[in-house]
Parts: sequence; C-alpha cells; structure tokens
Amino acid sequence: MKFLIRRFQPEQIRELFLAVLIVLVVVFFSSQIPGYFNARFVNRISTSVVVVAILAVGQTLVFLTRNFDLSTGSIVGFTAYFLGQQLWHHPAIPPWAAVLIAIGVGTFMGSINGLLVAYGRVPSVIVTIATLAIYRSFLVEYSDAVPITTNNLPDWIVNLPPLSLFSVGDVEFRVIFGIMVLVVIVFQLILNYLPFGRRLYAIGSNPDAAQVAGFPAQRMVFTAFLLSGALAGLAGFIFLARFGNISVLAGIGLEFASIAAVVVGGVSNMGGSGTVFGAFLGALLIDLLENSLFRWQAISEFWRDAILGMLILLAVAIDFVVIGRLRKVWARAELEMSVEEAQEESEVAAHAG
Amino acid sequence: MAEPVLEMRHVFKRFDMTQALDDVSLDIYPGEIHALVGENGAGKSTLIKIITGIYRPDLGELRLDDQPVTVNNSQEAQALGIAAIYQEPMIFPDLNVAENIFISHQDRGPVVRWGKMYRDAEDILSKLDVHLDVRMSARGLTLAAQQAVEIAKAISLNVRVLIMDEPTASLSAHEVTQLFQLVRSLRSQGVAILFIGHRLEEVLSIADRVTVLRDGKKISSRLREEVTPEQVIRDMVGRDVEDFFWKADTERGELLLSVRDLGRQNVFHDINFDVYRGEVLGFAGLIGSRRTDVGLALFGIEPADSGEIILEGTRRRIHSPGEALRLGIAYATEDRRQLGLNMTMSMVANVTLPTLTSYLNPLGLIRRRAEISTAEEFRERLSIRTPSVQADVERLSGGNQQKVMLSKWLNAGPKLLILDEPTRGIDVGAKAEVHEMISDLAARGLGVILISSDLPEVLAMSDRILVMREGRQMGIFEHTDATEERVMTAAMGQYAAEQEVGA
Repeated sequence: MKFLIRRFQPEQIRELFLAVLIVLVVVFFSSQIPGYFNARFVNRISTSVVVVAILAVGQTLVFLTRNFDLSTGSIVGFTAYFLGQQLWHHPAIPPWAAVLIAIGVGTFMGSINGLLVAYGRVPSVIVTIATLAIYRSFLVEYSDAVPITTNNLPDWIVNLPPLSLFSVGDVEFRVIFGIMVLVVIVFQLILNYLPFGRRLYAIGSNPDAAQVAGFPAQRMVFTAFLLSGALAGLAGFIFLARFGNISVLAGIGLEFASIAAVVVGGVSNMGGSGTVFGAFLGALLIDLLENSLFRWQAISEFWRDAILGMLILLAVAIDFVVIGRLRKVWARAELEMSVEEAQEESEVAAHAG
Repeated sequence: MAEPVLEMRHVFKRFDMTQALDDVSLDIYPGEIHALVGENGAGKSTLIKIITGIYRPDLGELRLDDQPVTVNNSQEAQALGIAAIYQEPMIFPDLNVAENIFISHQDRGPVVRWGKMYRDAEDILSKLDVHLDVRMSARGLTLAAQQAVEIAKAISLNVRVLIMDEPTASLSAHEVTQLFQLVRSLRSQGVAILFIGHRLEEVLSIADRVTVLRDGKKISSRLREEVTPEQVIRDMVGRDVEDFFWKADTERGELLLSVRDLGRQNVFHDINFDVYRGEVLGFAGLIGSRRTDVGLALFGIEPADSGEIILEGTRRRIHSPGEALRLGIAYATEDRRQLGLNMTMSMVANVTLPTLTSYLNPLGLIRRRAEISTAEEFRERLSIRTPSVQADVERLSGGNQQKVMLSKWLNAGPKLLILDEPTRGIDVGAKAEVHEMISDLAARGLGVILISSDLPEVLAMSDRILVMREGRQMGIFEHTDATEERVMTAAMGQYAAEQEVGA
C-alpha cells in the first residue's frame, strides 16, 4: 500500500477508474441485451469511436492550455467535403497525398484559430464559435449544395473502413482504428517527453508562472490550436472514408462530442491536467453508451439522448467523488509517512549525537 | 469626551502559524480620528477585517454602544453603521455618481426614483462641500473624486464608524489635502474615524489619537498631543531582535550588477545600486514602496523604461524573463500562487520548468530520470518534506512550496538571485532554513537581492540595505549602521537617510 501511494498519484488512477467503468457498462448491457457482446459489436465500436477519439486528442491539447476549440466539427466537415471533391475530380491522387491534403487543410484552419487566440488575444470561445460558423459557411459556399456520394469516390477510400490489419478470431484490428491508436500513443508521448507537452501543462495550470518561467507561451498556445486543426483534418479524412456521402451538414456537433469525451476523460477545463489516453477512454465510454442505448429496446429513442446526457453527468460525478476520496486517503497516508520519517530522522540524529 | 461608539475587547485571532491579533483592545470615540499605525504584518488589516465582519475573532468581543455585537459580513457591518473605504475605491465605472452613492441601499422602494436620488446625492455632496455632477458617469473621476464618492456613500448609510484603510496611498499631495478636509468635516458631524496610513507625517497631521500595533499586539494608544514621531517609530519597531539566523560574513567578490537611474513611468524612478558577488543587498520599505517592481523590472516581467542595467560590465536591456534567465538572473516571486508555482504540477515538473531544454537527450526528448534526480537532490539539500517528488506541489505545506520555488530558480544556476519575500507565510523552522540557504548562496559567490517586509530579517541577512518609499530610493545603509529605527524612519519618509548612494 505504501509503495502504491508513493509510486502513483490519485490522478493517475483516474484512467484505471474509467477503464473499470467501461467494463461495468459492458457487463450491465450484457445482462440486459441478449447477444450484446460479440466480435461484431467490438468491431463496430472500434470503427465508430475513431473520429471522435482523434478530435478528442486535439481537443485535449487545447484544453490543457485553458482554451476550447469549438470549430473542429466544421473543420471535419469542410476537409471531408474538400478532399471528397478532389478525389472525385482527380481520382489518381494517391492515398498518402489524400491524407496530407486533409491534414493540410485542417492545419490551415487550426492555425487561424491559433493566431487569433494566441497572438490576437481574443478569448478562444469567441474565436472558435466564430470560425465554427465561418468554416461551415465555406463548406456551404464551396459545395454549392452538391453532395459527395460514395459513387464519386475512388474504391480505395470506400473500402478503407472495413480493411483490417490483422484479426484475432472475429475481432478485427482495422486500419483506421490503428491510425487512431497511433495518434493517441504519439500524442501521449509528446505530452510526456517533449518540452512542448510539459509547457502546455504549465501554461494551463498557471499562465502567469509559465510566462515567468521564460518560454514562449504564445507560440505553445498557437501550436496547440494548429495541432487540433491538423487532427481535425485527419478526422475529416476518416469521416469521408467512413460515411462516403458528404453533405453540407457533415460533422455537425462533433465539436461537442469531442468536448464531452475530453471532459469525461478527466481533462480539466481549467487547464493543466489530464491525458490524451484519458480523453480516448472518455470517447470510448461515450461511444459505447451511445451504441448500447441504441440497441437497448427498453428505452425509447426519444429518451436516448437524455439518458446519454445523464450517464455522462453520472460518470463525471462518480469520478469526482472517487478522486476526491482517493486524494483524502493519499493525504492521510502521506501525513503518516512523513511523521514516521521525522521520527526516524530524529532517532538517527539522537544516535549520531 | 463621550462614551466610545465602538469597542474591541481582548480580541485574539490566529492564522496557522501566526498570531495575527494578540489581546487587542481598542476604543473608538465619536467625533475622533483614530490613527492605527504599524509595520506590514502588524495586524492592522486583520483588525479592520474583524470590525467589518470579514473575519470572526477567535476570542474577545466587539461592542457597539456598549452592547456586544457579532458582525458576520460587511452587509451586517453596514447595517450597524460601520463602513470601510480602501486604498482602491470600489467604484462602478459604468454607473453615475448618484447611483454609486446609493448602490448599497436596499430600502429605497421597488423602483428607482431618479429625481429623488439625484436630489439626495446633491444634498450629501454639498454637506461635504464637494462639487461633483451627480449625473456624471463615475468612469473618469479622479481617484480623489472617487474617494469623495465613497465617503458620500458612507454618509448616505448613516455611518457611525468609518474605517479608512490607506486612503491616501495613491493620491497626490493636493488631493490628500482635499481628502483631509472631508475627513475633518466628517469628524465634526460626529463620525468616528479609524484611519490607517503609512506616511507618518500625514497620519500625525490628522489624527486625534494614535494607536501602534506590532506583531499583533497593541503597543500604545495615546492622544496625538502626547506623542512625537520618534516615539511612534520606536513603538512600531521596538521589539527584541528574535534569535535570528545572521548571515555569515562573506567575502565581497567582484562587481556583478550596477543599476543606474532605473525607472518605470509612474512606478519608480532614479534607482541606483550595485550588487557584488557574495553579497546580500536587502530591499526594505513598506507596502507601496515599489520594491517588488524593481525586482520585476530586473527580471524583465515589467521592464524598466529608463536608466541602465549593467551586468558584469555590459549594458543590458531585459525585456522578458527568458532574457533575464539567459543572462543569469533569477527571480523568486513573493506571490507563490500567482507567479511562482504551477500548483497542479509535480515538484519535478516545477523545478525543471525554466531549464527544461537542458534535460533533453539527442532526440529532443525529456530525460525524466535526470529531472527526477535533480528534484531529489534539491529535496535532500533543502530538506523539502514531500511524500514524493512526483506529488503535486499543491499538496505541500507553504514552507515546502517555498523551497520548491527556490529550487526551481537555484536550478537555473543564476549569478544574481532576487528573492522577494522568501519567508512570508512560512513557519519558523522553514524560515531559519531559508536564511541559512541565503547565507550559503552568498558564500558560494552569488549576488543576492533580498526584498523583504520583515525588517529584522533584512537587518540580519543583508550586507547593505536599500530603503525605498513610494518608488523612490531613500538611501542605502551599510549593515553596520543600519538599525530598525533608522531604516523605518527612512521608509516612513521622515527624513532621507544620510548616506545617499553616490551616483
């Protein structure tokens, strides 16, 4: 126990707790819905979670700096449409170039958010609500209300979502899920091992102290928005692959889904704490609840959203209570340990003297 | 004289480690200006906060008209006729003068009767002999006019006890005269005034009675005619020097920093001093003396706009903390929570934050082991009590947080270390450890600037002491001629210290 308390901090247990919650949800619905948990269901979830999870990673970076990115839904919609149209008119574009186009468009849009927030000093809520509307209008204007359909797209992209890297029994590890896993791992490592990551936490936990520590905080905030845009671009690519039919409404509401994931995943909206992995688990939990409620006959579809909302609130509340309790346990144990240490020290001193 | 309107009887108040008020009794009479003086931390603010209901006393009572009262918040205080005016007036800039005067009134009916409000406001202002357009928006009023509005507000509440907490701090000499006229006219209307001030001449020019607080105790309370400025100062500082850690004698090394005519508009000006390696230069002064601003300027947080900073013989302009750090200047702030630490981050992350780039491996990744071993070293060296260097600093005690902040700046390997109130709010043991550390750093050849409101601390730890008052340098004392009386006299602006620095 002592070892545990020394080695881990309560906040680090949050992810473990989310994982347990996910298992509990699965167990509960298994008892309610016959044939609920099977390979098909796992495959469905692992496909449907990808877009929101990637957005949640970008949103985490922005959240860490005490900001919001509300424009991601429109960035996803616009990139998905833009890329779809390019592929329609130039089917020869190779897959790697398609991915780069999507990321490039997203990066551009994200950097505009970043410029206005970091250097223009406009509150991020205002900037990204504005760009949410502006980017959506770009899409409406650009598309001329002509939707992209699966028939217009090259085969490789239409066939991408079910494509799997390998499978264990009937459970497939699909390419797009692999992309998401890669994104989560890379960004988790960035947060842990690059000065950039550390400084994002520093900015969010105390912007003034961050400035005093003498690093370019504005550039860090700018970069966080730029990366959030880039990831939204990548998510736009996957969105296009997954749905194929893209209208002007594509991606509406995804910004809120990503914020819900991040909040459930324990990233603080006050900045400075949370992890990419937590955000992924948050996305997974919400997606799981959505899909499970969809299959649960006991609930009418009119109530589904309300129940989802309540479950999210419940998850956050339980998290709050559990973490609060853990903090108390930790604090008490630490106090005891420090008293013990002080006693040991004074004994040693007594021997020495 | 009549019966006291407000009495404080044997009031005690304790915060963690400090006895903020220790058996303080005070009588405040109607029609009297009662001045309250004392050093920073003497207990003046606590006393005011108890009278206005922001704090509750641990022991003792407040009596109004000889009846015991409990005041739970400032609304209740107002209802009892107790109001306070602070250094920064609480004005609503978007409302007009009359609205500001009547902002606290809840009993003027369900709808605003504008005509009556304007007439009443004019009545009050004319009673005070203040000429202001009551329909004018409060934005753009001078500070003095804002004070007048505050006073009018107090009168509109039928105030019986008016507390004025350093109302003159940001006023010009002319405005002070105007304010004092107002205060005197209040006195003639029978209002009891508790006046807190830092400029002794001013305080003595208006007070009818002077009470001195020191270390939470009431030292003296005498009529104005019975005291001299010298007596008041002696009462303020005349404590036994506690067994302080005295700085060890260190050898003064080569010249490290010269500051010439340094200034920032409307903040401080004409600051001149030198710091040598192996030396501690103390900065003394009262609140509002702008010592901290000089520190902020040297570290580039709020850069100076005139004068020169010469570091090791080279003239430097310092515009950002990053530049200051590269030049070897570190600044440990007085404001741990706001500027000093990232509370939700671990000790490791805090300590290495300014120097993160020196912890990278060839791939540009952070070497976490190296970070942890740095943190462990400091934990050992400064005996920081924490369950783990990975624990959030939020969960450490004040003294340990202070040491984490010092570790952070020591780790930057500075040549010049500016310490701003390094022992504020930490317990005696930690304080002694910090003092020992400062002495040790000087012995290692660092130049140290020690900004502190704790006068005995400055006297014990500094080789020389620079005294500031309201943005001006009042003089530099050699350690050997500095006494509490002389430093305090300079800080209160009674007369300039004899030893002005030769520029």
